Amino acid sequence: MRAIAGRFLRRHPLGAVAGVIMGLVVLAAIAATMVATQDPTRTDAAQTFLPPGPRHWLGTDHLGRDIYSRIVYGARVSLAVGLTTSALGGIMGGVVGLVSGYGRGVAAASIQPVLDIMQGFPLLVLALVLTAALGPSLPTVIVAIAVPFIPRVARVVRATTLAIRETTYVEAALALGASGLRVVVRHIVPNTLASLIVLTTAQVGSAILVEAALSFLGLGVPEPYPSWGRMLSVSAAEFAQRAPWVVFFPGAAISVVVFASNLFGDSLRDFFDPRLRI
Amino acid sequence: MVKRGQMSAWLGGLLALVLAASSASGAGVTPKSGGVLNAMHREDPPSLSIHEEATVSVNWAMMPCYSNLVIFNPLRGQESPATIMGELAEKWTWRDDGKTLVFTLRKGVRWHDGQPFSSKDVKYTFDLVRGAPGAPALRLNPRKVWYAQIQAIDTPDPDTVVFRLKRPQPSLLMLLASGYSPVYPAHVPAAELRTRCVGTGPFKLKEYRPGELIELVRNPDYFIKGRPYLDGIRFIIIKERGTRIAALQTGRVDVTMPQEGTKPAAEQLRKAVPSMVIDEVSQSINDNLLMNFKKAPFTDARVRRALSLAIDRRAYIQAVRQGGAAVGASMLPRPWGVWGLAPGELAGLPGSGDPAKQKAESRQLLAEAGFGPGHPLRLAVSTRAIAQYIDMATFALDQLKQVGVDATLEQVESAVWFAKLTRGDYELGANLTGVSVDDPDANFYENYVCGSPRNYSQYCNPEVDRMIDEQSQTPDQVSRRRLVAEIQKRLEVDGARPILGWSNDYYAMWPYVKNLIPHQSVYNYARFQEVWLDR
Amino acid sequence: MLRFLGRRLVLAALTIAAMSVVIFVLLRVVPGNIVDLIFQSAGLVDPSEKQRLVHELLLDRPIAFQYAQWASAFVHGDLGKSYRYGLPAWQIIRPRIPITVELAILALTISIAVGVPTGVVGATRQNTWLDYGLRIFSLAGLSLPAFWLGMIIILVLVRTLGWIPSMLYIAPTVDLRAHLLQFAFPALSAGYRSAALINRITRSSMLEVLREDYVRTGRAKGLTSSAVVYRHALKNALLPVITVIGTEFAFLIGGLIVTETVFNLPGVARFLVEAILWRDYPVVQNLVMFIAIVVVLSNLAVDALYARLDPRVRYA
Repeated sequence: MRAIAGRFLRRHPLGAVAGVIMGLVVLAAIAATMVATQDPTRTDAAQTFLPPGPRHWLGTDHLGRDIYSRIVYGARVSLAVGLTTSALGGIMGGVVGLVSGYGRGVAAASIQPVLDIMQGFPLLVLALVLTAALGPSLPTVIVAIAVPFIPRVARVVRATTLAIRETTYVEAALALGASGLRVVVRHIVPNTLASLIVLTTAQVGSAILVEAALSFLGLGVPEPYPSWGRMLSVSAAEFAQRAPWVVFFPGAAISVVVFASNLFGDSLRDFFDPRLRI
Repeated sequence: MVKRGQMSAWLGGLLALVLAASSASGAGVTPKSGGVLNAMHREDPPSLSIHEEATVSVNWAMMPCYSNLVIFNPLRGQESPATIMGELAEKWTWRDDGKTLVFTLRKGVRWHDGQPFSSKDVKYTFDLVRGAPGAPALRLNPRKVWYAQIQAIDTPDPDTVVFRLKRPQPSLLMLLASGYSPVYPAHVPAAELRTRCVGTGPFKLKEYRPGELIELVRNPDYFIKGRPYLDGIRFIIIKERGTRIAALQTGRVDVTMPQEGTKPAAEQLRKAVPSMVIDEVSQSINDNLLMNFKKAPFTDARVRRALSLAIDRRAYIQAVRQGGAAVGASMLPRPWGVWGLAPGELAGLPGSGDPAKQKAESRQLLAEAGFGPGHPLRLAVSTRAIAQYIDMATFALDQLKQVGVDATLEQVESAVWFAKLTRGDYELGANLTGVSVDDPDANFYENYVCGSPRNYSQYCNPEVDRMIDEQSQTPDQVSRRRLVAEIQKRLEVDGARPILGWSNDYYAMWPYVKNLIPHQSVYNYARFQEVWLDR
Repeated sequence: MLRFLGRRLVLAALTIAAMSVVIFVLLRVVPGNIVDLIFQSAGLVDPSEKQRLVHELLLDRPIAFQYAQWASAFVHGDLGKSYRYGLPAWQIIRPRIPITVELAILALTISIAVGVPTGVVGATRQNTWLDYGLRIFSLAGLSLPAFWLGMIIILVLVRTLGWIPSMLYIAPTVDLRAHLLQFAFPALSAGYRSAALINRITRSSMLEVLREDYVRTGRAKGLTSSAVVYRHALKNALLPVITVIGTEFAFLIGGLIVTETVFNLPGVARFLVEAILWRDYPVVQNLVMFIAIVVVLSNLAVDALYARLDPRVRYA
C-alpha cells in the first residue's frame, strides 16, 4: 500500500496535493465544531454585512451569521452528499453492471439500452424530478443524485465484465467447475475496481455541483443545515453588490473542492491506467 | 351618528385630485402623454382574476385593466376614508341608519369589448363574491367574508345600485375601495377572467406571455377623458432576485414591484444610482407566527405565551428586516395605520419588553408547563421556501433555542403550504399576512374569527368574536378605536397570531416616472391612470 | 446499417415510453398536487370546490386511466392543458423551445470552437506550461457552478458597464444585434463547461492516437509533423469527440436550467423547474419527453455518424 502511495506521490504530485486538500476538507467537515469559530445558525442583528475581519474571517451575511463557520459546516452537507451518492451509486451501479454484463438472459440484455438512454439524460433534470417527487430533504437529495449516477457506473462495469467474461482464463475456470459467483468475485471484480474508483472519485465533484444547483433553485437540503448552494441563492444575489463576500466565498468553496476532487480523480485515472476511457 | 348626505363625492374626489396633482408633480408641470412604462414583476400571477386570488402579484398587473365602484386617491400615499373617491360611482349616500348604501353610477361607460356598463354588472359582481344564493360560484373566493353583511343588492335602474345590509357596516366603503374589489362584467363567465381581462379600466390587456411578460395598452375609450397618459405598461417577469435588482439599476425596468424593496437593497440602489427615487412606505403586510391551537402543547396558554415572549420583536426587525419594519400588533401600526396601538400600549405586550427579562419569564413558563433542560420542548417551525419567510423562521429558531426550545426548520414548497396550514398539519408556522385596507373588518374577519378558513391557527375566542362584531357596527370613531385596541391586546395576549413586525416597502423608480405614489398598502395603487413619463 | 438504425429506433421508442410511465407515476405520488397549488395564494380550501376541481382534472381516477388518457392524447398530438395557466400546454411550451435550442447550439458552437483547438494544442505541446495552463483552465470549467458563473458575470456587467442584456426576449427578426448580445453572455456561461469537457476529451484522444503505430509509420515515411497531426491523427482522434458532442448537446440542457434562470431567458429548461414546482403535470410530462427525445435523437445521430466515420466498426 505504502509503495503504491509513494509511487503515486512521485508521479502525480499535483494530484497528491489535490488529494490532501480533499482529505483536509473532509477532516474539517468532521471536526466542524472545532474548526468553525462560531455557531453557523446564530443570527446577530448588530453584525450584518460585516466585511472579512479578525472576528469574522470571511465576513457576515444579511442575518449577521458568520460566513466562515457556515462554509465549514456547509462542507458537511456537500461532502455528505458527494461521498454518499458516489458510494451508493458506485455500489449499486457496479452490481447492475455486473449482472447485465455477466448474465445471459433476456432480462440482463434489456438493461443495457435503458442504461444507455438514462446515461445521456441531464443529471440535474432527473435530480429535479426526484426531489420534487420526494420533497426536499437530505435523504431525498442523496437519492436524487445517486440514482442518475447508477447507469453511468453500470455501463462501464458492464463493458469490463463483458470483456473479462470472454477471456480464456475465465472459460478455463468455469470448465474446471468454479461457480459463477466465484468467477465474479475472484476475477471480474478486481479488474473493474480501478474504473470504479476513478468513476466514483470523479462523481464526487459532479454530485457537489448538482447539490449546489438544487439548493440554488430552492430544492436542496433545507435549513438549518448550511448548504453552500443555498448560501448563493436568493438573499445572496440580492446583496451581491453591497457585500460581494457573501456571494464570493461560498462559490469559491464549491469551486475549490470540486476542482480538487476532479484533479485527484484525474491523477488516479492516469496512475491506474492512462488508457482508461471514462 | 351616521353622517348623512355627504357632498357629492365625485366632486370632492376631483378636487382632491387636482390639489394632490399640483402638489405631487410640482405646480404648473403639465403631464406629457405617451411612452410605455416597463414595470418589474417577480412571478407569474396564479391567475389573472383579482377576485379569485390573494396576492399582490395579481393586483399589480391586473388593476390597470379594471375599475372599482370607489377607489383610494392614487396621488395620496396615506389611505383613509377621506381619500376615497369615485371611479364607476359618481356619488353615494348612506341611508337607514347605515344599513343601506346607494351608489349613483357614471353614465356612458363601456367594457373593453364594447358592451355598455350598467348597474347589473355591479350586482353581478358582488352577488358573485358574497356567494349570494343562486349566483354562480367562483372557483376560489378568499374575501367572501368581507361581504357577509350584505342582505341583497338592488338595481332600480341602470345607473343606480343599492346595497342593503343586515346591520350597519361603516367599513363597507373601505372594502369596496380596495384593489381587490374591481367590478366584473356580467356578460363574461368568471372562469374566463382567469386567462383574460375584460374590464373598464384605463388599460386593456394586450398580451400575456406566461413566464415572460404581461403587456397592457392604453384604453382609448376610458371614461375619464385625457387619461391615461401612458401608451402602455409592460410587466416584465424576472424570477431571479439578483437579476431583478440589476434590471432596475441598469434601467431595463423603470419601476420596482411593491413588496420587493428591502432596506439594504434600497441603500445599495441609492449608492449605485443617486438619482433614483426611493419611497419608504409600509407594505401593510405583517410577519407573524402561527401556533396550532389544536395541537399539544399549544393548547397550553403558558406555552403560547412563552413562545411569544421568547422572540424579541425589536431584534427581529433589526436582524431580519435590517431596521426596515415597525413593531405592532394585529392592526397596521402608526403612523402608517390609524388603528395601531400607541407605543405605551405596545410596550406591555409579549416580545416588546426587556429581552433578557422576557426570555427569563419564557423559560419559567415553559418550566411550569413541564419543559426544562432535561426535557426540552421539541417542535418544528414550518415555512414557505421563499427568502422573506426563511429568514424570519431562521431568526425565530435561533431565539427559541435561547430559551431551551429544540426547534428545527421545515421548509415547505409553495405547492403544499396553504393546504398544509388549512389541514392543521403543522406545529409552528412562520407566515406573512397581508391586510389590503387599513380597516379592522378587512383584517379581523378574515384572520381571527372562529371558523374563518384563513384563520390558520384555528384560534377561537367567542368573546373576541363578539367584540369584533360590535366594532364592525360602531359608527362612532372614538368608541370604535377603543374597542379595536382592546381586541388587538387580547389577540396578542392570547397568542392568536403573534405579530413580529410590519415590514416597510422601499419603492424605487427612476426619476422620469411621475405621479406613481406608493400607498401604505401594496394592494391598492396599481391603477396607473395618473402616471406619466417625463422624457 | 439501416437495419441497425431501425432496431435502435424501436428500442429508443420503447425506452421513451418506459420513461414516460416512470415520470408520470412519480409526479403523482408526490405530496402536494396541482389542486393544493391552485388554492395556494387564495388560501381557501372549500372541500366541495376542491372535489370538483379534482374530478375535472381527472385526479380521482386510477393512475392507469390517467396515463392511458394522456398517452392516447399525446399520440394524437394533443399535449393537454397546462393546469397552472389554463392554456394548452403546447401553446406555452412551443415559443420556448427555439430559445433553448438556440442557446444550446450557440453554447455548443462556442465550446467546440474553443475546446477542440485548445485540446489539440494541449496534446501536441504536452507537459509544457501552455498545456498545464490549458488543463487548469479546463478543469476550472468543470468545477465552477454554472449559476455562480452567471451571477458573477451579471455582477461584473452591472459594476463595470452599468448595463445588462435585455430582460425581455428579443427575437432575431426584430433586432439581430440586440438578440445576439442577449444570448452571448448566457452562451459563454453555459459553454464554458462544455468547452472544458471537449478540451479534455480532445486532448486525451489526440494523445492516444499520436502514440499509435500508424502515426509513427507516417512520420517514418517522411510526412511532415503537421501533416501527420492534421491528416491522420486528428481525423481519428475526433471520433470520441463526436460522441461527446452528441451526448453533450442533451446534457447541456441540464446546465441551461440555471443559466436561463439567472439571465432571465424564457426557455424550456427554466420553465421545467417552474412547472415542477407547480406540479403542472402536463407541462412537466411534455418537457421531460422533449428532453428524452432530444437525448435519444442525439445518441442515434452520434451512432450513425460514428458508423460512417469509423470503418472498423461492425454492426452485424
